[in-house]
Amino acid sequence: MSVDPARKALYLVAVTAFVVVFCGYTPAGAFNNEPLDNTLLLAQAETPQGEVPDQAEQDEDDEYDDDEYDDDEYADDDVDLISDPLIQGNTDFYNFNDTMYFWLLKPVSRGYGFIIPEELRVAVRNVFYNIRFPVRFINCLLQGKGKKAQYEFGQFFINTTVGFLGIANVASNYPHLQPSKEDLGQTFAVWGIGQGAYLMVPFFGPYSLRHGIGAVADTVFDPIFWLFDDLYVSLAIRAGETVNDTSMRIGEYEALKEAAIDPYVMIRNAYVQNRNKLIAE
Amino acid sequence: MKKRITGVILTLAILLVIPLQGLAATPKETVETGVNKVLKTLGDPAFKAKPKDQQIATIGAEIDNIFDFKELSRRTLGKQWKKMSAGQQTEFVELFKELLQGVYADRLLAYSDQKVIFDKEIMLKKGRAEVQSYLQTSDGKKIPLFYRLTDKSGSWKVYDIIIEGVSMVKNYRTQFRQILAKDSPDKLLEILRDKVKKS
Repeated sequence: MSVDPARKALYLVAVTAFVVVFCGYTPAGAFNNEPLDNTLLLAQAETPQGEVPDQAEQDEDDEYDDDEYDDDEYADDDVDLISDPLIQGNTDFYNFNDTMYFWLLKPVSRGYGFIIPEELRVAVRNVFYNIRFPVRFINCLLQGKGKKAQYEFGQFFINTTVGFLGIANVASNYPHLQPSKEDLGQTFAVWGIGQGAYLMVPFFGPYSLRHGIGAVADTVFDPIFWLFDDLYVSLAIRAGETVNDTSMRIGEYEALKEAAIDPYVMIRNAYVQNRNKLIAE
Repeated sequence: MKKRITGVILTLAILLVIPLQGLAATPKETVETGVNKVLKTLGDPAFKAKPKDQQIATIGAEIDNIFDFKELSRRTLGKQWKKMSAGQQTEFVELFKELLQGVYADRLLAYSDQKVIFDKEIMLKKGRAEVQSYLQTSDGKKIPLFYRLTDKSGSWKVYDIIIEGVSMVKNYRTQFRQILAKDSPDKLLEILRDKVKKS
Protein backbone atom coordinates (compact mmCIF):
# COMPACT_ATOMS: atom_id res chain seq x y z
CA MET A 1 0.00 0.00 0.00
CA SER A 2 1.52 3.33 -1.05
CA VAL A 3 0.34 6.64 0.25
CA ASP A 4 0.82 9.75 -1.79
CA PRO A 5 3.86 11.51 -0.25
CA ALA A 6 2.22 14.89 -0.56
CA ARG A 7 -0.74 13.73 1.51
CA LYS A 8 1.59 12.19 4.04
CA ALA A 9 3.47 15.44 4.35
CA LEU A 10 0.24 17.32 4.78
CA TYR A 11 -0.81 15.05 7.62
CA LEU A 12 2.56 15.44 9.28
CA VAL A 13 2.35 19.20 9.03
CA ALA A 14 -1.17 19.18 10.43
CA VAL A 15 -0.13 17.05 13.37
CA THR A 16 2.91 19.21 14.04
CA ALA A 17 0.88 22.39 13.82
CA PHE A 18 -1.59 20.92 16.25
CA VAL A 19 1.21 20.10 18.64
CA VAL A 20 2.86 23.50 18.31
CA VAL A 21 -0.33 25.45 18.76
CA PHE A 22 -1.49 23.57 21.80
CA CYS A 23 1.66 23.81 23.77
CA GLY A 24 3.99 26.68 24.45
CA TYR A 25 6.76 24.51 25.72
CA THR A 26 10.39 25.29 25.51
CA PRO A 27 13.03 22.71 26.42
CA ALA A 28 13.97 24.75 29.47
CA GLY A 29 10.38 24.68 30.61
CA ALA A 30 10.38 20.93 30.55
CA PHE A 31 12.89 20.78 33.36
CA ASN A 32 11.19 22.79 36.02
CA ASN A 33 8.10 21.78 37.90
CA GLU A 34 6.27 25.09 37.91
CA PRO A 35 3.24 25.35 35.63
CA LEU A 36 3.81 27.51 32.57
CA ASP A 37 1.37 30.39 32.64
CA ASN A 38 0.94 30.56 28.91
CA THR A 39 -0.03 26.91 28.69
CA LEU A 40 -3.27 26.26 26.90
CA LEU A 41 -5.08 23.24 28.27
CA LEU A 42 -7.87 21.42 26.53
CA ALA A 43 -9.60 20.58 29.80
CA GLN A 44 -9.28 21.81 33.33
CA ALA A 45 -8.61 18.42 34.83
CA GLU A 46 -4.97 17.87 35.62
CA THR A 47 -3.00 15.38 37.63
CA PRO A 48 -1.53 17.11 40.68
CA GLN A 49 2.15 17.56 40.32
CA GLY A 50 4.23 14.62 41.35
CA GLU A 51 1.27 12.62 42.50
CA VAL A 52 -0.35 9.63 40.91
CA PRO A 53 -3.92 8.99 42.05
CA ASP A 54 -3.47 6.07 44.39
CA GLN A 55 -5.26 2.89 43.54
CA ALA A 56 -5.80 2.69 47.29
CA GLU A 57 -7.88 5.83 47.40
CA GLN A 58 -10.03 4.68 44.53
CA ASP A 59 -10.55 1.21 45.88
CA GLU A 60 -11.52 2.29 49.36
CA ASP A 61 -15.18 2.17 48.49
CA ASP A 62 -14.99 -1.01 46.49
CA GLU A 63 -16.04 -4.49 47.33
CA TYR A 64 -13.49 -5.09 50.11
CA ASP A 65 -16.00 -5.06 52.88
CA ASP A 66 -16.30 -5.13 56.64
CA ASP A 67 -16.40 -7.89 59.17
CA GLU A 68 -20.04 -8.74 58.52
CA TYR A 69 -19.43 -9.75 54.91
CA ASP A 70 -22.88 -8.75 53.72
CA ASP A 71 -24.38 -10.54 50.82
CA ASP A 72 -25.35 -7.10 49.56
CA GLU A 73 -21.68 -6.51 48.97
CA TYR A 74 -21.71 -9.02 46.13
CA ALA A 75 -25.35 -8.87 45.08
CA ASP A 76 -24.94 -6.73 41.98
CA ASP A 77 -21.22 -6.97 41.96
CA ASP A 78 -19.81 -6.82 38.49
CA VAL A 79 -17.29 -9.54 38.96
CA ASP A 80 -16.72 -10.04 35.24
CA LEU A 81 -15.59 -6.43 34.69
CA ILE A 82 -16.30 -6.47 30.95
CA SER A 83 -19.07 -7.80 28.76
CA ASP A 84 -18.04 -10.74 26.64
CA PRO A 85 -20.82 -11.52 24.16
CA LEU A 86 -18.31 -12.90 21.67
CA ILE A 87 -16.91 -15.37 24.18
CA GLN A 88 -17.11 -18.34 21.79
CA GLY A 89 -15.03 -16.68 19.12
CA ASN A 90 -12.79 -15.04 21.70
CA THR A 91 -11.99 -18.38 23.28
CA ASP A 92 -11.04 -19.79 19.88
CA PHE A 93 -8.84 -16.79 19.15
CA TYR A 94 -7.30 -17.12 22.60
CA ASN A 95 -6.38 -20.72 21.94
CA PHE A 96 -4.94 -19.66 18.60
CA ASN A 97 -2.85 -16.93 20.23
CA ASP A 98 -1.71 -19.35 22.91
CA THR A 99 -0.56 -21.80 20.26
CA MET A 100 1.14 -19.02 18.29
CA TYR A 101 3.00 -17.95 21.41
CA PHE A 102 4.40 -21.36 22.26
CA TRP A 103 5.02 -22.56 18.71
CA LEU A 104 6.21 -19.35 17.07
CA LEU A 105 6.76 -16.25 19.16
CA LYS A 106 8.51 -17.85 22.12
CA PRO A 107 11.03 -19.98 20.17
CA VAL A 108 11.87 -17.08 17.87
CA SER A 109 12.22 -14.68 20.79
CA ARG A 110 14.40 -17.09 22.72
CA GLY A 111 16.69 -17.60 19.76
CA TYR A 112 16.83 -13.87 19.23
CA GLY A 113 17.57 -13.43 22.93
CA PHE A 114 20.47 -15.87 22.81
CA ILE A 115 22.10 -14.05 19.92
CA ILE A 116 21.48 -10.42 20.79
CA PRO A 117 22.85 -9.20 24.15
CA GLU A 118 20.38 -7.70 26.58
CA GLU A 119 21.85 -4.19 26.48
CA LEU A 120 21.26 -4.03 22.75
CA ARG A 121 17.70 -5.30 23.07
CA VAL A 122 17.01 -2.73 25.78
CA ALA A 123 18.42 -0.06 23.47
CA VAL A 124 16.11 -1.15 20.66
CA ARG A 125 13.16 -1.05 23.02
CA ASN A 126 14.17 2.43 24.16
CA VAL A 127 14.40 3.70 20.60
CA PHE A 128 10.93 2.44 19.73
CA TYR A 129 9.57 3.92 22.94
CA ASN A 130 11.16 7.26 22.16
CA ILE A 131 9.86 7.34 18.59
CA ARG A 132 6.31 6.81 19.86
CA PHE A 133 6.51 10.09 21.75
CA PRO A 134 3.87 11.85 19.60
CA VAL A 135 1.27 9.20 20.41
CA ARG A 136 1.69 9.56 24.15
CA PHE A 137 2.16 13.31 24.06
CA ILE A 138 -0.93 14.03 22.02
CA ASN A 139 -3.03 11.74 24.16
CA CYS A 140 -1.83 13.52 27.29
CA LEU A 141 -3.05 16.77 25.78
CA LEU A 142 -6.33 15.27 24.64
CA GLN A 143 -6.97 14.22 28.22
CA GLY A 144 -6.03 17.63 29.55
CA LYS A 145 -3.04 16.27 31.43
CA GLY A 146 -0.78 19.24 30.86
CA LYS A 147 1.73 18.33 33.56
CA LYS A 148 2.09 14.82 32.23
CA ALA A 149 2.56 16.18 28.70
CA GLN A 150 5.38 18.32 30.02
CA TYR A 151 7.04 15.27 31.56
CA GLU A 152 6.63 13.35 28.31
CA PHE A 153 8.29 16.16 26.42
CA GLY A 154 11.08 16.43 28.97
CA GLN A 155 11.72 12.73 28.76
CA PHE A 156 11.71 12.82 24.95
CA PHE A 157 14.04 15.79 24.82
CA ILE A 158 16.64 14.38 27.20
CA ASN A 159 16.59 10.90 25.69
CA THR A 160 16.83 12.21 22.13
CA THR A 161 19.69 14.59 22.78
CA VAL A 162 21.78 13.24 25.64
CA GLY A 163 20.44 9.74 25.07
CA PHE A 164 21.45 9.55 21.38
CA LEU A 165 18.09 9.47 19.64
CA GLY A 166 16.51 7.46 22.40
CA ILE A 167 19.05 4.67 22.74
CA ALA A 168 19.85 5.48 26.32
CA ASN A 169 17.04 6.13 28.76
CA VAL A 170 18.83 8.98 30.48
CA ALA A 171 15.55 10.36 31.74
CA SER A 172 15.24 7.39 34.08
CA ASN A 173 17.55 9.31 36.40
CA TYR A 174 14.70 11.74 36.97
CA PRO A 175 11.77 9.86 38.51
CA HIS A 176 9.20 12.46 37.53
CA LEU A 177 10.21 12.13 33.89
CA GLN A 178 8.88 8.58 33.74
CA PRO A 179 5.16 9.13 33.11
CA SER A 180 2.98 6.12 32.40
CA LYS A 181 2.05 5.53 28.77
CA GLU A 182 -1.06 7.20 27.38
CA ASP A 183 -2.95 6.00 24.32
CA LEU A 184 -6.14 6.84 22.48
CA GLY A 185 -8.07 4.03 24.17
CA GLN A 186 -7.36 5.67 27.52
CA THR A 187 -8.30 9.06 26.07
CA PHE A 188 -11.69 7.69 25.02
CA ALA A 189 -12.16 6.34 28.54
CA VAL A 190 -11.33 9.71 30.09
CA TRP A 191 -13.84 11.28 27.72
CA GLY A 192 -16.48 8.99 29.17
CA ILE A 193 -16.83 6.46 26.38
CA GLY A 194 -17.71 2.99 27.64
CA GLN A 195 -15.31 0.13 27.08
CA GLY A 196 -17.54 -1.99 24.85
CA ALA A 197 -17.18 -5.71 24.36
CA TYR A 198 -14.09 -7.79 25.02
CA LEU A 199 -12.12 -8.78 21.95
CA MET A 200 -9.34 -11.34 21.83
CA VAL A 201 -7.63 -10.35 18.58
CA PRO A 202 -5.52 -12.92 16.72
CA PHE A 203 -1.81 -12.06 17.01
CA PHE A 204 -2.45 -8.84 18.86
CA GLY A 205 -3.96 -10.09 22.10
CA PRO A 206 -6.72 -8.83 24.39
CA TYR A 207 -8.56 -5.58 23.63
CA SER A 208 -11.76 -3.84 24.54
CA LEU A 209 -13.68 -2.38 21.61
CA ARG A 210 -12.74 1.10 22.82
CA HIS A 211 -9.06 0.23 23.15
CA GLY A 212 -9.01 -1.54 19.80
CA ILE A 213 -10.42 1.44 17.91
CA GLY A 214 -8.03 3.69 19.79
CA ALA A 215 -5.06 1.52 18.91
CA VAL A 216 -5.91 1.60 15.22
CA ALA A 217 -6.42 5.35 15.27
CA ASP A 218 -3.18 5.85 17.20
CA THR A 219 -1.23 4.74 14.15
CA VAL A 220 -2.01 8.14 12.67
CA PHE A 221 0.30 9.64 15.30
CA ASP A 222 2.90 6.91 15.03
CA PRO A 223 5.96 8.11 13.09
CA ILE A 224 6.92 4.56 12.13
CA PHE A 225 3.66 4.24 10.23
CA TRP A 226 4.51 7.29 8.16
CA LEU A 227 8.17 6.54 7.61
CA PHE A 228 7.59 3.56 5.37
CA ASP A 229 5.46 3.50 2.22
CA ASP A 230 5.02 -0.21 2.17
CA LEU A 231 2.48 -1.66 4.60
CA TYR A 232 4.37 -4.94 4.75
CA VAL A 233 7.56 -3.22 5.84
CA SER A 234 5.65 -1.49 8.63
CA LEU A 235 4.20 -4.81 9.73
CA ALA A 236 7.60 -6.46 9.63
CA ILE A 237 9.00 -3.76 11.84
CA ARG A 238 6.11 -4.22 14.22
CA ALA A 239 6.80 -7.95 14.30
CA GLY A 240 10.47 -7.34 14.99
CA GLU A 241 9.59 -5.01 17.79
CA THR A 242 7.31 -7.65 19.30
CA VAL A 243 10.05 -10.27 19.17
CA ASN A 244 12.45 -7.84 20.82
CA ASP A 245 10.00 -7.04 23.63
CA THR A 246 9.01 -10.65 24.15
CA SER A 247 12.61 -11.78 24.44
CA MET A 248 12.82 -9.81 27.66
CA ARG A 249 9.52 -11.06 29.00
CA ILE A 250 9.68 -14.77 28.48
CA GLY A 251 8.19 -16.56 31.46
CA GLU A 252 5.54 -13.99 32.33
CA TYR A 253 2.78 -15.50 30.26
CA GLU A 254 3.71 -19.00 31.42
CA ALA A 255 3.56 -17.86 35.05
CA LEU A 256 0.12 -16.39 34.44
CA LYS A 257 -1.12 -19.67 33.03
CA GLU A 258 0.46 -21.58 35.91
CA ALA A 259 -1.41 -19.46 38.43
CA ALA A 260 -4.73 -19.62 36.62
CA ILE A 261 -7.60 -21.97 37.18
CA ASP A 262 -9.10 -20.67 33.94
CA PRO A 263 -6.45 -18.85 31.85
CA TYR A 264 -8.95 -17.26 29.45
CA VAL A 265 -10.87 -15.63 32.29
CA MET A 266 -7.71 -14.72 34.16
CA ILE A 267 -6.26 -12.88 31.18
CA ARG A 268 -9.50 -11.10 30.41
CA ASN A 269 -9.84 -9.96 34.01
CA ALA A 270 -6.18 -8.94 34.31
CA TYR A 271 -6.45 -6.99 31.05
CA VAL A 272 -9.41 -4.92 32.28
CA GLN A 273 -7.91 -4.28 35.71
CA ASN A 274 -4.65 -3.17 34.15
CA ARG A 275 -6.42 -0.87 31.69
CA ASN A 276 -8.42 0.69 34.51
CA LYS A 277 -5.21 1.39 36.36
CA LEU A 278 -3.61 3.00 33.29
CA ILE A 279 -6.70 5.09 32.66
CA ALA A 280 -6.65 6.36 36.23
CA GLU A 281 -3.04 7.50 36.01
CA MET B 1 7.75 -0.71 102.84
CA LYS B 2 4.39 -1.20 101.18
CA LYS B 3 4.94 1.95 99.16
CA ARG B 4 8.25 0.68 97.86
CA ILE B 5 6.83 -2.63 96.78
CA THR B 6 3.98 -0.87 95.00
CA GLY B 7 6.52 1.38 93.32
CA VAL B 8 8.60 -1.57 92.17
CA ILE B 9 5.56 -3.43 90.88
CA LEU B 10 4.33 -0.37 89.02
CA THR B 11 7.73 0.20 87.43
CA LEU B 12 7.97 -3.41 86.36
CA ALA B 13 4.47 -3.26 84.91
CA ILE B 14 5.32 -0.18 82.88
CA LEU B 15 8.60 -1.65 81.72
CA LEU B 16 6.84 -4.81 80.58
CA VAL B 17 4.23 -2.94 78.59
CA ILE B 18 6.56 -0.59 76.71
CA PRO B 19 8.57 -3.19 74.78
CA LEU B 20 5.32 -4.97 73.83
CA GLN B 21 4.02 -1.76 72.30
CA GLY B 22 7.28 -1.34 70.47
CA LEU B 23 7.07 -4.87 69.10
CA ALA B 24 3.75 -4.34 67.32
CA ALA B 25 4.91 -4.20 63.71
CA THR B 26 3.43 -1.73 61.26
CA PRO B 27 2.10 -3.05 57.96
CA LYS B 28 5.16 -1.87 56.08
CA GLU B 29 7.50 -3.45 58.60
CA THR B 30 5.62 -6.73 58.39
CA VAL B 31 5.88 -6.93 54.63
CA GLU B 32 9.39 -5.62 54.47
CA THR B 33 10.70 -8.03 57.10
CA GLY B 34 8.88 -10.95 55.54
CA VAL B 35 9.92 -10.26 51.96
CA ASN B 36 13.50 -9.45 52.89
CA LYS B 37 13.70 -12.71 54.79
CA VAL B 38 12.50 -14.57 51.72
CA LEU B 39 14.96 -12.71 49.49
CA LYS B 40 17.76 -13.54 51.91
CA THR B 41 16.83 -17.21 51.76
CA LEU B 42 16.79 -17.02 47.98
CA GLY B 43 20.33 -15.66 47.99
CA ASP B 44 21.66 -18.29 50.37
CA PRO B 45 23.99 -20.76 48.57
CA ALA B 46 22.78 -23.65 50.77
CA PHE B 47 19.24 -22.92 49.66
CA LYS B 48 20.20 -22.71 46.02
CA ALA B 49 21.67 -26.20 46.24
CA LYS B 50 18.37 -27.74 47.28
CA PRO B 51 15.99 -29.35 44.75
CA LYS B 52 13.23 -27.12 43.38
CA ASP B 53 10.29 -28.56 45.29
CA GLN B 54 12.15 -28.26 48.58
CA GLN B 55 12.93 -24.67 47.73
CA ILE B 56 9.29 -23.93 47.08
CA ALA B 57 8.29 -25.64 50.34
CA THR B 58 10.79 -23.55 52.33
CA ILE B 59 9.68 -20.30 50.78
CA GLY B 60 6.05 -21.33 51.19
CA ALA B 61 6.58 -21.72 54.93
CA GLU B 62 8.11 -18.25 55.18
CA ILE B 63 5.34 -16.70 53.14
CA ASP B 64 2.83 -18.24 55.51
CA ASN B 65 4.03 -15.81 58.16
CA ILE B 66 2.93 -12.74 56.26
CA PHE B 67 -0.13 -14.00 54.38
CA ASP B 68 -3.56 -14.64 55.86
CA PHE B 69 -4.78 -17.32 53.48
CA LYS B 70 -8.11 -17.75 55.21
CA GLU B 71 -8.92 -14.08 54.73
CA LEU B 72 -7.72 -14.33 51.15
CA SER B 73 -9.96 -17.33 50.50
CA ARG B 74 -12.98 -15.64 52.09
CA ARG B 75 -12.65 -12.52 49.99
CA THR B 76 -12.02 -14.45 46.82
CA LEU B 77 -15.10 -16.63 47.22
CA GLY B 78 -17.34 -13.82 48.46
CA LYS B 79 -20.92 -14.96 48.94
CA GLN B 80 -19.97 -18.55 48.11
CA TRP B 81 -17.78 -18.82 51.20
CA LYS B 82 -20.75 -18.96 53.56
CA LYS B 83 -22.40 -21.54 51.37
CA MET B 84 -19.55 -23.98 51.87
CA SER B 85 -19.37 -26.38 54.79
CA ALA B 86 -16.60 -26.01 57.35
CA GLY B 87 -14.82 -29.02 55.90
CA GLN B 88 -15.00 -27.59 52.40
CA GLN B 89 -13.76 -24.24 53.63
CA THR B 90 -10.75 -25.77 55.35
CA GLU B 91 -9.84 -27.80 52.32
CA PHE B 92 -10.28 -24.81 50.04
CA VAL B 93 -7.95 -22.67 52.16
CA GLU B 94 -5.34 -25.43 52.15
CA LEU B 95 -5.49 -25.99 48.39
CA PHE B 96 -5.57 -22.31 47.51
CA LYS B 97 -2.61 -21.74 49.81
CA GLU B 98 -0.61 -24.49 48.11
CA LEU B 99 -1.40 -23.11 44.68
CA LEU B 100 -0.49 -19.54 45.54
CA GLN B 101 2.62 -20.41 47.52
CA GLY B 102 3.91 -22.39 44.57
CA VAL B 103 3.22 -19.57 42.15
CA TYR B 104 4.57 -16.81 44.35
CA ALA B 105 7.69 -18.77 45.27
CA ASP B 106 8.26 -19.65 41.64
CA ARG B 107 8.03 -16.01 40.63
CA LEU B 108 10.35 -14.90 43.41
CA LEU B 109 12.90 -17.47 42.29
CA ALA B 110 12.65 -16.16 38.75
CA TYR B 111 13.14 -12.60 39.88
CA SER B 112 15.64 -13.45 42.63
CA ASP B 113 18.37 -11.19 41.30
CA GLN B 114 16.12 -8.16 41.14
CA LYS B 115 15.90 -5.38 43.65
CA VAL B 116 12.80 -4.87 45.73
CA ILE B 117 12.14 -1.29 46.74
CA PHE B 118 9.64 -0.54 49.48
CA ASP B 119 7.88 2.76 49.10
CA LYS B 120 4.74 4.10 50.75
CA GLU B 121 2.52 2.72 53.46
CA ILE B 122 -1.09 3.91 53.19
CA MET B 123 -3.75 3.32 55.83
CA LEU B 124 -7.14 2.47 54.35
CA LYS B 125 -10.59 2.34 55.86
CA LYS B 126 -11.85 -0.40 58.15
CA GLY B 127 -8.53 -1.49 59.62
CA ARG B 128 -6.75 -2.13 56.34
CA ALA B 129 -3.47 -0.93 54.92
CA GLU B 130 -1.58 -0.92 51.66
CA VAL B 131 2.17 -1.23 51.31
CA GLN B 132 3.61 -0.21 47.96
CA SER B 133 6.74 -1.87 46.65
CA TYR B 134 8.50 -1.97 43.31
CA LEU B 135 10.40 -4.70 41.58
CA GLN B 136 13.43 -3.26 39.80
CA THR B 137 14.25 -5.54 36.90
CA SER B 138 17.65 -5.85 35.31
CA ASP B 139 16.44 -4.32 32.06
CA GLY B 140 15.43 -1.13 33.82
CA LYS B 141 11.70 -1.58 34.35
CA LYS B 142 9.94 -0.87 37.64
CA ILE B 143 7.03 -3.17 38.29
CA PRO B 144 4.59 -1.94 40.94
CA LEU B 145 3.72 -4.61 43.51
CA PHE B 146 1.25 -3.50 46.18
CA TYR B 147 0.30 -5.52 49.26
CA ARG B 148 -3.02 -5.14 51.04
CA LEU B 149 -3.05 -6.03 54.72
CA THR B 150 -5.55 -6.39 57.53
CA ASP B 151 -4.91 -6.69 61.26
CA LYS B 152 -8.10 -8.60 62.00
CA SER B 153 -6.11 -11.52 63.38
CA GLY B 154 -4.20 -9.29 65.78
CA SER B 155 -1.13 -8.75 63.64
CA TRP B 156 -0.86 -7.37 60.14
CA LYS B 157 -1.21 -9.99 57.43
CA VAL B 158 -1.51 -9.79 53.64
CA TYR B 159 -4.82 -10.64 52.03
CA ASP B 160 -4.24 -9.37 48.50
CA ILE B 161 -1.43 -8.57 46.10
CA ILE B 162 -1.89 -6.01 43.33
CA ILE B 163 0.57 -6.32 40.47
CA GLU B 164 0.49 -3.52 37.89
CA GLY B 165 -3.02 -2.68 38.96
CA VAL B 166 -4.29 -6.26 38.86
CA SER B 167 -5.71 -7.44 42.18
CA MET B 168 -5.24 -11.14 42.76
CA VAL B 169 -8.41 -11.43 44.81
CA LYS B 170 -10.52 -9.78 42.12
CA ASN B 171 -8.96 -11.91 39.44
CA TYR B 172 -9.51 -15.23 41.18
CA ARG B 173 -12.98 -14.18 42.20
CA THR B 174 -13.98 -13.92 38.54
CA GLN B 175 -12.50 -17.32 37.81
CA PHE B 176 -14.19 -19.02 40.77
CA ARG B 177 -17.47 -17.30 40.10
CA GLN B 178 -17.41 -18.73 36.59
CA ILE B 179 -16.95 -22.26 37.92
CA LEU B 180 -19.40 -21.99 40.80
CA ALA B 181 -22.07 -20.60 38.48
CA LYS B 182 -22.54 -24.00 36.93
CA ASP B 183 -20.86 -26.43 39.34
CA SER B 184 -20.89 -27.27 43.03
CA PRO B 185 -18.16 -26.31 45.52
CA ASP B 186 -16.99 -29.93 45.44
CA LYS B 187 -16.26 -29.58 41.75
CA LEU B 188 -14.23 -26.45 42.47
CA LEU B 189 -12.26 -28.32 45.11
CA GLU B 190 -11.67 -31.12 42.63
CA ILE B 191 -10.36 -28.67 40.03
CA LEU B 192 -8.07 -27.13 42.63
CA ARG B 193 -6.82 -30.51 43.73
CA ASP B 194 -5.91 -31.45 40.16
CA LYS B 195 -4.25 -28.11 39.61
CA VAL B 196 -2.11 -28.36 42.73
CA LYS B 197 -1.15 -31.94 41.95
CA LYS B 198 0.00 -31.02 38.46
CA SER B 199 2.26 -28.15 39.52
